[in-house]
Amino acid sequence: MSGRARPDARRDLSRALADKRILVVGGAGGVGKTTTAAALGLQAALTGRRVLVCTIDPARRLATSLGLEQLTGKPRRLDLHRLAPDAAGEMWAMMLDTQRTFDALVERYTADEAARDRILGNRFYRHVSTALAGSHEYMAMEKLLDLHGDPRFDLVILDTPPTRHALDFLEAPDRLMGFLDTSVLRWVLKPYFVAGRLTLKVATRTGALALGLADRFLGLQFLQDLSEFFLAFEGMYDGFKERAARVHALLRSEACGFVVVASPSRLALEQAVYFHRRLEESGLPFVGFVANRVHPEPEAGGERRAARIDEELAEALGGVYRDQQRLARHDQRALARLQADTGEPVLGVPEMEADVHDLRGLLEVAEAMLGQAPVPARRRRRTAGAARSR
Amino acid sequence: MVIDDLLQRRLVVLSGKGGVGKSLVGTALARVARDRGKRVLLIEVDTPRDSEAARYLGAPPVGPEVTEVESGLWAVNLDPRGVMDEYVRETVKVDFLARKILENPVYHRFFAAAPGLPELMVMGKVMMLEQEKEGWGRRPRFDLVILDAPATGHGLAFLKVPLAASQAVPVGPVGANARRILHLLRDAHRTALVLVAIPEEMAVVEAAEFERLAREEIGVEARALVLNACHERRFAPAEEAQVLRLIADDADGRLPGGVPLRGALQAARRQLRRAKLTRYYQNWLRKRLPLPSISLPYVFDEDIGPAAVDALAARLAAA
Repeated sequence: MSGRARPDARRDLSRALADKRILVVGGAGGVGKTTTAAALGLQAALTGRRVLVCTIDPARRLATSLGLEQLTGKPRRLDLHRLAPDAAGEMWAMMLDTQRTFDALVERYTADEAARDRILGNRFYRHVSTALAGSHEYMAMEKLLDLHGDPRFDLVILDTPPTRHALDFLEAPDRLMGFLDTSVLRWVLKPYFVAGRLTLKVATRTGALALGLADRFLGLQFLQDLSEFFLAFEGMYDGFKERAARVHALLRSEACGFVVVASPSRLALEQAVYFHRRLEESGLPFVGFVANRVHPEPEAGGERRAARIDEELAEALGGVYRDQQRLARHDQRALARLQADTGEPVLGVPEMEADVHDLRGLLEVAEAMLGQAPVPARRRRRTAGAARSR
Repeated sequence: MVIDDLLQRRLVVLSGKGGVGKSLVGTALARVARDRGKRVLLIEVDTPRDSEAARYLGAPPVGPEVTEVESGLWAVNLDPRGVMDEYVRETVKVDFLARKILENPVYHRFFAAAPGLPELMVMGKVMMLEQEKEGWGRRPRFDLVILDAPATGHGLAFLKVPLAASQAVPVGPVGANARRILHLLRDAHRTALVLVAIPEEMAVVEAAEFERLAREEIGVEARALVLNACHERRFAPAEEAQVLRLIADDADGRLPGGVPLRGALQAARRQLRRAKLTRYYQNWLRKRLPLPSISLPYVFDEDIGPAAVDALAARLAAA
């Protein structure tokens, strides 16, 4: 991609919205990922696609930006009628329920009811299955496979959880698989389960030492729960692995694309550069950067002297002008640097003057991102008053 | 005063949605405490690069070693994995055995995904640093420890881990340690949970949700709220009316000093809207999250550094 003569983020994004089957939206926390995902979804729906926007963020952000009171684990269709009476496509939204997805996965891969109940009833599983590092991400990937095959949708947009390190999201599934890979852990834990009492007859001295330590610090009960959990998972590992391989292939296929959201802040940009590099290294198809909250450069206007304005007011006006100009220039430089560092197109989205918390707001974001949506433009005034009326 | 109350604690935990400026607020808070003669430690956890605080203060990079960045102000960027390795080394004591464990693939895999283990390790380390003693008098090494906790989604998990661990591991030193951490978090005399937000819907909603969950699920009461990046009134009401009239008249030309009026009016309109939104969320928070609160101004500096820290610290000190 980086070999292209003139990068055009808007064109690339519009194409992705028309052609792709899956878009994964990633980036640092607080840059407006969810809003971007939802706005992209809305745009695609207005141009005729049947879109599902899926968020995994435990804080119910998509719900807020869609004005929905709550999102359940099931896709819910949004009413676009008032916004666009003749919208060609459909927009659906859902929030991932990690626990339910995990349970469903267990049900799918256990041989019989007894085996299923053994896992679902295991204390370790109940306490920590959703707390395992990477389980949100893993289940999102698992769900993605499901949704990708769902005939109701022809585009799935996945909003990712905020991660401190962008690569968490990409590596989490592997990490969880590594954890569940019983062949290694069983080696340490099986003696507990089999003997039901403290025994240090393990293959190596290191193993014995690790076991001894674990017992000292975690207690026998915990280790028993843990080993039961792993033994119960034994038969499922191959099934899990097979699904994971399919997700792996799907994410690297032409049907999928990654959009990285950033803002002009230093931290968000550093993470965007990093995320981009990780995508390239992992062979994942990158679509483009979206940089939100870009301060627009104030207009220059005419040269002649303005009508007389009170001195104090003129001073206050000069102050806000200079502040905005400083931010605008900073932002422009920041975006240019991102483009130069990565050789990829960056789409700057001006900072909205008000919060986005309904479909109309999302439409404005979509328009700011991709140009006029195919909806009769009505004059929309969005001020702080809109927020107050809620 | 809010700030005095906070500075009387031994541990301040800052929590908020990503992007609200927790690290900057933490740095400014540390500066205020230091200026009042306290020995302050600012803890960041697993920041993607080096300590943010050190950068804001214009100091050389700070990694996982506790480092004095300014006189009386220490910073550290804890890496959970490093903390865990250190713990193993201290527990095993025998060098080559510790090395064997640290090199063992089982250890690696387990640590990579074990639920809550990194969080528990880090919280344990925070508690250890809070309780560290020095000198003949065995006085605490730090008077105040400020924990810049991970963003809210993660942050709640972070605070929840000691509780979950004390339930899942009812016996043994790990469980006991978890209970001690929980006790520290719940001890309002020693610890203050401070929420950080900005005047935007998602940030304030998350702050309110976090406050409720921390109270109901962990038994930790938030003590204060810092509303960062507030747009303050810069036009008196009469001036505001005049600005709106000029916008309606599509006024153009140059102001004395050469500032283009049209651009200035655009900037003014944005500013008025943002300021209005700030007041709206300040009111919202007063009703929905009635905690002692501090508003900090939006920083317009291009590169946020020592000057911004000074400005915010001055505001905090007066709060």
